[in-house]
Amino acid sequence: MGCVETKERCGIIQRLTPPVLQTSALRIGYKNGGKSPKLVADNLNLTLNAGEFVCLVGPNGVGKSTLLRTVTGLQPKLAGEIQLSGKRLEAYPPRELASQVSVVLTNPISVGAMRVDELAAMGRFPFTGLFDRMSEHDWDVVHETLRVVGVDKLSQRYVHTLSDGERQKVMIARALTQEPRLLVLDEPTAYLDLPGRVVVMDLLHDLAFGHDKAVLTSTHDLDLALRHADRIWLMDDEGQIIQGAPEDLVLNGSFAQTFNRAGVRFDPLSGTFDTQNSGSQSVFLEGQGPELIWTKRALHRAGLAVEDEWIPGSPRICVLPQNDTITWQIEQDGQKNSFASIYDLLQALPK
Amino acid sequence: MNRTPDSATSQQTRRLWLFGLFLLLILALFLLNLALGSVSIPLKDIWGILIGREGIRESWIYIVQNSRLPRALTAALAGIALSASGLQMQTMFRNPLADPFILGINSGASLGVALAILGSSFVGGLFLPALNLGGQFSLVLAASFGAGLVLALILLVGRWVQNPTTLLILGLMFGHATSAVVSLLIYFSAPERIQAYSIWSFGSFSGVNWTQLSVMALVIFAGVSLMALLPKGLNALLLGEDYARTMGLNVGLLRFIVLLSASVLSGAVTAFCGPIGFIGVAVPHIARNLFKTSNHKILIPAIILIGAAVSMAASLIAQLPGSQLVLPINVVTSLFGAPFVVWVVLKRKRGAASFNV
Repeated sequence: MGCVETKERCGIIQRLTPPVLQTSALRIGYKNGGKSPKLVADNLNLTLNAGEFVCLVGPNGVGKSTLLRTVTGLQPKLAGEIQLSGKRLEAYPPRELASQVSVVLTNPISVGAMRVDELAAMGRFPFTGLFDRMSEHDWDVVHETLRVVGVDKLSQRYVHTLSDGERQKVMIARALTQEPRLLVLDEPTAYLDLPGRVVVMDLLHDLAFGHDKAVLTSTHDLDLALRHADRIWLMDDEGQIIQGAPEDLVLNGSFAQTFNRAGVRFDPLSGTFDTQNSGSQSVFLEGQGPELIWTKRALHRAGLAVEDEWIPGSPRICVLPQNDTITWQIEQDGQKNSFASIYDLLQALPK
Repeated sequence: MNRTPDSATSQQTRRLWLFGLFLLLILALFLLNLALGSVSIPLKDIWGILIGREGIRESWIYIVQNSRLPRALTAALAGIALSASGLQMQTMFRNPLADPFILGINSGASLGVALAILGSSFVGGLFLPALNLGGQFSLVLAASFGAGLVLALILLVGRWVQNPTTLLILGLMFGHATSAVVSLLIYFSAPERIQAYSIWSFGSFSGVNWTQLSVMALVIFAGVSLMALLPKGLNALLLGEDYARTMGLNVGLLRFIVLLSASVLSGAVTAFCGPIGFIGVAVPHIARNLFKTSNHKILIPAIILIGAAVSMAASLIAQLPGSQLVLPINVVTSLFGAPFVVWVVLKRKRGAASFNV
């Protein structure tokens, strides 16, 4: 565990500085009045280093938020130890803790009429006095952060006029102006459209890779997590966490095992989830490139089993790209039919 | 939706203008409050009385010094206190409908006053015999006692109850329970005592003498000073308690100070002027809309100015200048204020002003 499998070059740095976040035998859950506490996960031994982007993934309700709230000090742990930069979490005074860890939470905020730079400047609270007088340096940090996150052009806009994606970036900027070593985000992509999700994940990866932050985020966007994360913490419904590079977890089957549910299957070839193929009618498909992939998806949806070899008697489908147009051809029982679109092709196929 | 950026400097100039405008407005309203009423006194003589010039009618000097001046100051102070209390409650509960009395401070005061006025007939004059009908200062004592009791209860409960919404519900329930007791007292009371109680519950800036005014001013000054320590904390609360905590703020302490300041402010006003509605909920909204911000560094001075102005305007209208009639303050604030706030709220851009609930 830890950094055993990571590259040589970070081995030297790590001997000098302790991991940004380290938990040992951590038990998380909810204290339940006088009754016995509700246990969410136990015996968690996790490490997170500077410059690393970790995605915490797992099915709904396994306790991802509980873990994130516990390591940021928002919720007390039940047992075990959490260390931030080699010092116990509880040993930090509130302000010092705020310059170690900052957060972006799931729920959209509603601050009323506030400009982007004002909101980002709130990240300087741990550094300013009682009356929040901002020094020149404080404003420099704010403006530099807005630039890094890519929202410097929005700095005079009101927050409520921004799109969801822009607002999420501003919330990330606010968290960064706290100049934390560890940035923790709880489902930052939940309310965003697909391009917005990619942009945020790119940004988080860049903050870790290019700015040496330790970044921990929970997410339900598994394909994005697989693509962007340096490591994945895979949490199953027993509260176990498996750590590893995304590719390792796919290849050793942990990924499929955690998410397998009736009717849904993880396809290690494409890195995506598929509804299980229940079709009895099989077809043979020929072709190449994106045309082949998208045709295959359409056939899956139509409930057909796409075979790699031709079984005599079953339909044979060819994708024939010609210049700018594509033709789909079905050959069955010696008859050949051509179609100009996938839609027409599906109409002609047996149900 | 307005997508053109408001540059920070043009915004600042606008705000300075607004502050100046309100200062002038307050000055004008103050002088008008002294000049107008059942008897009109020329403005130049008002000025003469204020700087102590000789040769002005004795009756005018008496009216200004003992009736209109304390009334105008009471109105200004009450307006400031209610607005300050309302702003803090709205931010802390993240609720645009929160007002200074949401935690039941006024219910406590009402119960105190009801016991003083109505309770004495109830228990045949044995109970609280000193607090007789019409004794203005005894009403203040009774109201302070009731408000203080609720204040202590809120601070105590606030230490145990972490969830603001739970606190809100507890406050509401407490209000209902006290109203029930007050209704019970009214039900069994003589009509003239009921009338005395209703008159108190209508609210009034008159009848506060100089001694009472100085006590009230001191308490309100303390409450506003406490709030002046909080712009940073209140701004952090706009993001929610979780964010506030991760920014290194002591949320427990912050909440205690907010509760203390807001309760002391609303308690002081209720004790001296009765339960005055509307100003506390409306002024913060007017401030957010006019100054186009929810930043408490600007809102706090803004609500102090607007609160004083609105309250003095209400006091002026209540006098019905030129007539012998005086309207209850609550009638004026609601009757004239409600349409104004409706206009302000409908005019604003979506989501721009307060919390987008």
